[in-house]
Amino acid sequence: MAATIRQKPRTTFRLPPRVTVVSPLTLIRHLDKMRQLMAKDSGSSGIIDQARSEGRSVLSEVEAKALLASAGIPVIEAKLATTADEAASIADDIGFPVALKIVSEQITHKSDVGGVVLNVEDTDAVRAAFGEIIKAGKKADAKAQIDGVSVQRMAEPGVEVITGMTMDPQFGPVLMFGLGGVLVEVLKDVAFRVVPITRRDARQMIHEIQGFPILEGHRGAEPSDIAALEALLVQLSEFIEAHPDVAELDLNPVFAYPKGAVAVDARIVLSEPS
Amino acid sequence: MPDLTASLARTLNPKVVVVVGDKRMNGYMWLRNMQNFTGQVYSVQVDPNEIPGIEEMGIKNFTSLADVPGDIDYVLCAVPRQISPRIIADCAARGVGGVALFTSGFAETGEEEGATLQAELGNIARDASLALIGPNCMGVYNAKLGVRQSGEQPTGEAGPVGFISQSGTHAINFSLTGAAQGVRISTSISMGNAEVLDVPDYVDYLAEDDDTKVIAMYVEGTKDGRRLIESLQRATAKKPVVIWKGGVTEAGARATASHTASLATSTAIWDAVVKQAGAIATVSLDDTVDVLKALLLCKPAAGRRMGLMAMTGGQSVVITDAFERAGQQVPRLTESSYAKLAEFFNIIGGSYQNPLDMGGTIGFGGQSDHLQRLLDILEEDANVDAITMELASGFMARRWKADPSSLDSMLDLLVKHKERSTKPFLTTLHPGHVEEIAAQARAKVIERELPVFHSFERAARALSLATDYWLQET
Repeated sequence: MAATIRQKPRTTFRLPPRVTVVSPLTLIRHLDKMRQLMAKDSGSSGIIDQARSEGRSVLSEVEAKALLASAGIPVIEAKLATTADEAASIADDIGFPVALKIVSEQITHKSDVGGVVLNVEDTDAVRAAFGEIIKAGKKADAKAQIDGVSVQRMAEPGVEVITGMTMDPQFGPVLMFGLGGVLVEVLKDVAFRVVPITRRDARQMIHEIQGFPILEGHRGAEPSDIAALEALLVQLSEFIEAHPDVAELDLNPVFAYPKGAVAVDARIVLSEPS
Repeated sequence: MPDLTASLARTLNPKVVVVVGDKRMNGYMWLRNMQNFTGQVYSVQVDPNEIPGIEEMGIKNFTSLADVPGDIDYVLCAVPRQISPRIIADCAARGVGGVALFTSGFAETGEEEGATLQAELGNIARDASLALIGPNCMGVYNAKLGVRQSGEQPTGEAGPVGFISQSGTHAINFSLTGAAQGVRISTSISMGNAEVLDVPDYVDYLAEDDDTKVIAMYVEGTKDGRRLIESLQRATAKKPVVIWKGGVTEAGARATASHTASLATSTAIWDAVVKQAGAIATVSLDDTVDVLKALLLCKPAAGRRMGLMAMTGGQSVVITDAFERAGQQVPRLTESSYAKLAEFFNIIGGSYQNPLDMGGTIGFGGQSDHLQRLLDILEEDANVDAITMELASGFMARRWKADPSSLDSMLDLLVKHKERSTKPFLTTLHPGHVEEIAAQARAKVIERELPVFHSFERAARALSLATDYWLQET
C-alpha cells in the first residue's frame, strides 16, 4: 500500500541565550529584578498560607487579584477598606470613578444582595456607598462575616469574555475560554484545553468559539486584542502550574479591548488540604 | 529484569505462544486463532476431558506452564478468574514476555471482589515487568506473524494501521470491516480493563513501530489523562492518530462505567484533548475506517477547494452540498480550464461550472479520452486542491455486468491519474439498487488502492477530517 502520510516535523526547542559578558551595572539591575521577583513570590505564597492558616479555601476578591497580579496577570486590583474613611482614602488614591464590592466569604452573589455599587464619583459618595453595602450585607445574611468593602478602579467597558480553570478527574486542570454573559450561560459557547497550554493552543481556543466574530469586531466595532487574550491564557496556564493548591479559578468577566485585556473580577478556590 | 516497554514489544512480536485454558465449549477458539502463527504454539490445560481435543489439532499440551520448553513470549490466558492469579504468577516465574487475560469478572463488574483480584494480578505483573494485557480483553493481533484475536482476521502481510481498543468487539470488527475496505492492520491490541498497560503505553509502542503508518483507537477513558496527552503528542509528531471516543453522551457515559470500569469525562474535554494532541476525532466505526482511507490512500491536500465530477445534474447539486456541509469549498474553475472544457464538453444535459456534470461527456464511462481530459484539466486547475469522482452504480452497473473490462479499463485510467496527480483523488460508489454489482465493483476499486466511499457525505467528511490534519499548525 502506498502510504502517503505527511510527516510532521518534530517540535524544536530553543535554549535561552547564554549571557557571556556581564557588566557590574547589568548585574546590579539583574539582582534588583530578582529581588523584586522574590518579593512577589513570597507575597503570593503568603496569600495562600494566610488563607490556609485561617482554615479558608475560598480567597477573597482582594486576595485572588493580588495573587494573580503578582504573577503578572492583568487584573483590576482591589484594596480592602474596613471603614468608610479608609474606602474614601483608597478611592482618592486610585482616582474616580471607582467600584465598591462587599468582601465576605459567605456572600458569593454580591450584586444580587446589593453588595456592589459601581461608578462612584467622589469621596462623599464612597462613604455613603460603604455604609449601604455593609447594611445590605448584614440584611442578606445576618450570620455572614463581613471583612469590609473592596475598592477598585472602574474598568473601561470592553468585550466581555470569561476564562477559568476546573479540575477534570482524568486530565487534571483544564482551562476554559468563552465570551461572557448570555453566550456562556445559555449557549455554552466555550473551548477547553488541558494545562499546560501553548500559544498555539491559546490561539485555537479563541478561534474555536462560535462567537469569535464578536472579537474580530462585529458591525464596525474595533477588533479586540486577540494577542493579549492569547497571552492571558498562557499566563493563566503558567499560574496554574505554579500554584498546585488552586483547585478552581474564574476570571469573569475579563474585558477585552482593542489594546490589551484585563480581568475585572476574579475568584479562586483552593484545594481541600490533604 | 527487562522493563515493561521491552516486555510489551516482545509480547506483540512473539516467537512462542502459549494458550492456557482453551476449551472445547469455545471451539478451542484461541488455539484456532493461532493456526496461521509463524512461530511455535503450545497449550496448557489440566482438564483431561479437554486435552484430547487439543492434541487432535496437532498441538502439544502441557499440564503446567513450568513444563513448557524454552522462552515464552506471549501467553493467552482463558482460565476462570479465581485461578488467574496463579497463572499470572507462573508467567512471572517463567519470565514470560506478556500475558493477555481473556478472563473477565474483574473491575468491570463494579464489585469489590473483582477489583481486588484485578489489583492482585496487577501487582504480580508489575513486580515481574510482565506485560499484562487486560484483563477482560481479546488479546493481540499481529497480521504479519499470524497472531490473532479472531480466526477471521487476515494474516500474511502487515497492514499500515496500528489499532488500540478498549472493547474486544470493536478491535475485531474494526480489523474485519477495515480489511474488507482495504484498511488493514499492523498490530491491534484489545486492552480490556488496562490494569497494568494503558492507552499511552500502546500509543508509545505503535508510534515506534515501523509497520504502523497510522494509529487509530477506540477509547472510552483512561486512568492518567496527562500521560495520554503526552503520548499522543509524541505520536502525532511522527504519524497521524485517529481517536474514536466511545461514551460521549450522558447515556453513553453510564454504559462506559459498567463496561470497562473507566471514569467518564465530558465530551468537551475529550474534544479539547484530541485537538491539543493534534489527533483526529471520529465518531463511529465507519467514520474511523473512512478517515483512515483518506489518510492512507490520498496525497495530502494543500487546501479545501474541490473539483467535483458527477454523472448527472441532481448528483452534481448533492455532491456539492455534501462537500460544503463538511467544510470543504466548491469554487469556480480558472478561465483557462473553462476555455479547454468548452472545446469538448457536452452541455446538452450537462454543465461544467464545477461540479462537472459529465455523464454525457464521458459516455457514462465509455468515452475514456474525455474522462482523461477532464481529470487533466482539474489536475492543472490552480483553483482545485482535491478531486472527487462519482462512480455511479445506478447508471453503470448494467454495462459493468455485461462487460466487466469496461470497469477495469476505467479504473486503470483512474489509477494512472492518481499516480501522476499531486492532489487527493477520491471516488464514491453508492450501492443503490444493485448492491451485489456495486460490491464487486468496489472490490476492484479497493484492489487498486483507490479510496472509495459509500456516499458523497462519507467521502466529504473523511477528506475534511484528513485535511484538518494536513493543514494543522505544527
